[in-house]
Amino acid sequence: MLKIINGGIEVLVEDWPGRLGYLGKGMSASGAFDNVGLGLANVLVGNPSGEAGLEITGGFLEAEFTGDHVIALAGTDMQPTINGQPVAMWTALKVSAGDVIKFLHIAPTGFRCYLAVAGGVDVPAYLGSKSTCIFGAYGGFDGRALKPGDEVKFGASSADLSALAGRKLKAEAIPQYSNEWVLRAIPGPNTCPDYATQEGMDLLFSRVSKIQHTSNRSAYRLEELPASFFARADGGVGGSHPSNIIDHAYAIRGALNICGNTPILLVADGPTLGGYMCALNVINADLWKVGQGAPGRDYMQFQLSSQEEAIEERKKQKQWLSEDSLA
Amino acid sequence: MEKSVNAIMPGLCARVVVNVGDKISAGQEVAVINCMKTEISVKSEFAGTVSQVLSKEWDELQVGNPMVMLEVEE
Repeated sequence: MLKIINGGIEVLVEDWPGRLGYLGKGMSASGAFDNVGLGLANVLVGNPSGEAGLEITGGFLEAEFTGDHVIALAGTDMQPTINGQPVAMWTALKVSAGDVIKFLHIAPTGFRCYLAVAGGVDVPAYLGSKSTCIFGAYGGFDGRALKPGDEVKFGASSADLSALAGRKLKAEAIPQYSNEWVLRAIPGPNTCPDYATQEGMDLLFSRVSKIQHTSNRSAYRLEELPASFFARADGGVGGSHPSNIIDHAYAIRGALNICGNTPILLVADGPTLGGYMCALNVINADLWKVGQGAPGRDYMQFQLSSQEEAIEERKKQKQWLSEDSLA
Repeated sequence: MEKSVNAIMPGLCARVVVNVGDKISAGQEVAVINCMKTEISVKSEFAGTVSQVLSKEWDELQVGNPMVMLEVEE
């Protein structure tokens, strides 16, 4: 078990691929914002890559273990310590009852850190997932971020803990972080020539845009687009702005919603439908990068991709998040 | 000895809640940052007296930017 001393900025229980099958009921999938970080941490401790762990956003988590466990930390390096001693990222670590783990703030690159434990986090699965939907206040640990006094239970691991401790990743399996994230994306469904101009789409795929500080697990807002982006003068029966269309389902996770002039990436806890055009979709294999982009600090750029590349990259990611990545 | 209380997240300064001359205790909130559409409290690690307020509403902040300076007794 883990007793929370300080919940920091935002710590959530998340698994992967989250709560699938309920978009039609207005429920987003949620799930780990960076599924690569969670997946590699799980691989290190011998769990299935989608097992639930803790998603630590921003930092400052402080907590005490009440039993002996093997854990792994993956993601941005928040200078974690155990009993005041620095500990390694991307490595399976043995912890004992009474050990206190503490995180500082985010590193110069990356925004989220994942804590996986052998056996997983033991919260009830709600509609097939342990993930927290923080805006819907369901799933995970009471549907909310962890706070002081919470006691998070862990599952029992079938593995030999002493054999797990010390496991590391191959150097090439550790993801490279940046302040300028390149996201491969497929245009559509609302693109040129009907909704956007060719020049507008060229701009969308060529510019580098800062992540706005208002971004969170629901949406990542980017810098505004010029009026010349739009092919239409207004939204017709959909509304007065050319970004308006008749309400339709959003292809979350990864759709780029154009809301007024603001492009907004719809992500983990994003809305499932609405009345704005969606100009592109980030490929599934690159969604993890969005979760490591820091609002108010990092930049994003879209790179033209294809369905074929998206399928191929998804297969490669499955291989990446497996024991093949262990050193 | 002068110590700074720094921004703990990138974002915008929502407000500074102390003034020059205020005596504050360790763990006391000195400022608030807007990030992720929520308000994040910035607390002082030290007890001391506020000597300078360096941030104001709407200032863009990065992790580590000093927001308030304190005169701390050694």
